[in-house]
Amino acid sequence: MRISRNLVQAFRGLRLNKGNTFLMTLGIMIGIASLTVIVAIGEGTKSKVLSRIASLGFGPESFSVYSGAGRLFFGRNRNVTSMTLQDADDIRAMPEVAIVVPRQRKRMRIINKKEFTSTRVYGVSPEWQPARQWKVVDGTFFNDMDMERKRKVIVLGATPAYNLFGEKDPIGKKIRVGQVFFEVIGLLKKKGLTESGYDPDNRALIPLTTSMSRLFRQAHLHSMKVVSIHPEMVQKTMEGVTQILRRNHGLSSLADDDFRFVTPEGIMQWVTESEQALNRMLFLVSTVSLLVGGVVIMNILLVSIRERIREIGVRRCFGARRSDITQQFLFESILVSLLGGLMGAILGWTLSTALRHFDFLPVKITLDPFLLAFIFSMIVGLIFGIYPARKAALLSPDETIR
Amino acid sequence: MTTLKVIEVNSIIKTYKSEGLETNVLKGISIAIDEGDYVSIIGPSGSGKSTLMTILGCLGQATSGTYLLDKEEVGQLSDRELSRIRNEKIGFVFQAFHLLPGVSAFDNVMIPLIYCSKTPKDAKERVERALIRVGLEHRMNHTPGQLSGGEQQRVTIARSLINDPKIILADEPTGNLDSKNGIEIMATFDNLNEEGRTIIIITHDSVVSEHARRILTLRDGQIASDRINENFKKPRAGFSRVATQ
Ligand SMILES: Nc1ncnc2c1ncn2[C@@H]1O[C@H](COP(=O)(O)OP(=O)(O)OP(=O)(O)O)[C@@H](O)[C@H]1O
Ligand SMILES: [Mg+2]
Repeated sequence: MRISRNLVQAFRGLRLNKGNTFLMTLGIMIGIASLTVIVAIGEGTKSKVLSRIASLGFGPESFSVYSGAGRLFFGRNRNVTSMTLQDADDIRAMPEVAIVVPRQRKRMRIINKKEFTSTRVYGVSPEWQPARQWKVVDGTFFNDMDMERKRKVIVLGATPAYNLFGEKDPIGKKIRVGQVFFEVIGLLKKKGLTESGYDPDNRALIPLTTSMSRLFRQAHLHSMKVVSIHPEMVQKTMEGVTQILRRNHGLSSLADDDFRFVTPEGIMQWVTESEQALNRMLFLVSTVSLLVGGVVIMNILLVSIRERIREIGVRRCFGARRSDITQQFLFESILVSLLGGLMGAILGWTLSTALRHFDFLPVKITLDPFLLAFIFSMIVGLIFGIYPARKAALLSPDETIR
Repeated sequence: MTTLKVIEVNSIIKTYKSEGLETNVLKGISIAIDEGDYVSIIGPSGSGKSTLMTILGCLGQATSGTYLLDKEEVGQLSDRELSRIRNEKIGFVFQAFHLLPGVSAFDNVMIPLIYCSKTPKDAKERVERALIRVGLEHRMNHTPGQLSGGEQQRVTIARSLINDPKIILADEPTGNLDSKNGIEIMATFDNLNEEGRTIIIITHDSVVSEHARRILTLRDGQIASDRINENFKKPRAGFSRVATQ
């Protein structure tokens, strides 16, 4: 087979022109490596967001209201203090509403003797547990009495419990949250890390009244979870909540809301939108990086052909057809791209693994970008090899040999 | 000697055009060369010898005129067919050797067999035989950089012979060699001619041209003289043909 003989010559050409081969490989390698790393980060971000949603524990009949204008988890102003317990009571009075869980939230350091850890501390009402339906495996959840007496009791998630007590039973122990001592009365069931590394167990819960008066020392709420009596009532409930909050906060009809809803649909929509934006960006970045690699290959091949004009002449003198020369250089460019693609994939995989290991960025390694890298690098080699290969083939033999 | 004409060129004109400048290099050349003949082409620098060789070797086309090679009109042929002719009928030897750098003598000699319509089964043996013939059996895996000039030129002769061509076209084959190596190379050509191969050698050197039976002189793109060499095949002092056997 003539074509396989030309393939062999292409291998030889690459071997004999190591410098150029190396540079071409490098061009594609960098393109493919960055592509695979970017895809891994993109996938990681996506799955982090998705698992975050899953861990929010939304049923179809519930939603949250966050203090401050903005969208979903992204408040425009962190210092909004307008949401109060009065709002929660008014909403609870609505006929469409089954449960309201007012919440405060802060990341704090908690300490048991010499052990300490940092976790998200929530001040919530006792309804939190039925609303979330999160089991307590040891001890109990706090009740209305704890709430009324502003007791310094705390329910730990599995992560801080382990960090402070190891395998020992934490129930009844005293721990310090900031400067205040709390008694551990309950332990939440462990949910485990989500795929992307988000840890839903990294939390601690205290009565809302305690957090307001003894720990955070603030009256305003961070957010409320609202469970409506039926999934179909959610829309109507949200309208009612909007009216109540606007009235309670004294907003004029021209003013914007100073609160925002977080609903499963809202999140899903946002995820879809950001996924599309991310995919567009990924597409752009990968196209650009591969184009750069391709242009590098093309230029080096053009230089290489000028350097190897004698070789082309010799081959032509001894019977190589134009198509033989075209094939040889096309094979060289495809082979070099594949090699670069392979090395880029290895480099990309290594970098992604390192990023994941050191926890810089959310990273999720999937097979797709590596397969695509392979196919793309081959296509790049083919497309950007055509022009130099044809150029080499169309040189007239007597020009190449003199 | 047969009277079959292996090469017949008629009123060949070659004009190079570059940047509006026209150079008439060959100005109407007609020659007929018998099969098995031994021809040398001499002439001053710039007279068009190498240009004529590229046309005879089907490496470039004449601007006008006809060229019959083995009764085939070359001007009408496609790239594919020209490549086949170069592969099967012509063996080239150049002054600057034109070996592929970094490639072993063996693989250099192999090149014409890559572009055969079908690579022969005994390719390896043929390459070995060709290299033995030029006395390089101990240098098969050497690259051109590891070979002397004379050895390199012997590799190119082996390469030109590998496909058993009718015609050997050599452009100043001794130009880069010292006299001792030059003599050896010329002995090889004499030998090839005795086997019945048509040899065309371009040269500046009258010692070299005296090996040929027929001597053409080119001057300013035209044939200035065409004579038979009376000294042809007379024993020459200083070398023996045994060297290449
Ligand atoms: N591609 C080209 N374009 C323009 N002129 C050319 C080209 N190739 C050759 N020539 C001209 O054609 C003329 C003949 O060149 P050629 O190489 O055939 O000479 P030559 O007889 O082989 O000389 P030498 O003995 O020095 O090798 C020269 O004057 C050269 O400048
Ligand atoms: Mg010349």
